[in-house]
Amino acid sequence: MKDAVRIQQDDFSQDEEITALKAGSLRMGGIATFVGCARDFSEGRAVSQISFDAYGSMALSEMNQLRLDAIEKYSLLDARIVHRLCTVTAGENIVFIAAGAEHRVAALDACRWMIDELKVRVPIWKKEVTPEGGAWLTSHP
Amino acid sequence: MINVLFFGPVVERTGIRDCQIPCVEGMTLQSLRDLLAARYPHAFEIVCFCAVNGQQVRDLSVELVDGSEVTFMAKFSGG
Repeated sequence: MKDAVRIQQDDFSQDEEITALKAGSLRMGGIATFVGCARDFSEGRAVSQISFDAYGSMALSEMNQLRLDAIEKYSLLDARIVHRLCTVTAGENIVFIAAGAEHRVAALDACRWMIDELKVRVPIWKKEVTPEGGAWLTSHP
Repeated sequence: MINVLFFGPVVERTGIRDCQIPCVEGMTLQSLRDLLAARYPHAFEIVCFCAVNGQQVRDLSVELVDGSEVTFMAKFSGG
């Protein structure tokens, strides 16, 4: 089985990730997921590609800690975080987050919390390529 | 030596991904930052965070030791 927290070039399978999450416990009654994907328009400009840079070792360490923090904070049964590092075009997947809990509220709250925390804790940077050239992003709300 | 790493938007402004700085006795994160900010002022305009050996550090008075890996980073934008 693939690790619950990964940084990878290739796309991920949401079905595989959810199956892996559910395999952890039959007590799981609620699963919430978030998929971040590339847009073709940002801040008034057409976007043709998005590329990434990361402090890989620290990013993976922070993502692992983030998963553990979420499990503790929301009493989750399990959680998974996958972030791609490659060049993507509009519509392609970037990040997958899943939270599994006994009930829906904890799963939904934890999923939202994890993506919000990932954006401020994990050293990954996004560069949008537009007709005017490339531009590194500051984080979106 | 102190191994310094740059990523993403900071690399765009430094023009380099890494450099080595001689470690002198009593060198702190603040003194290393000052040294590099003088060398790459445009890059350090966007530096918000720093890490030592992969751990984010907010106290710039922390003393560095030979072989430390130090990273000066812009605001993150993953996800």
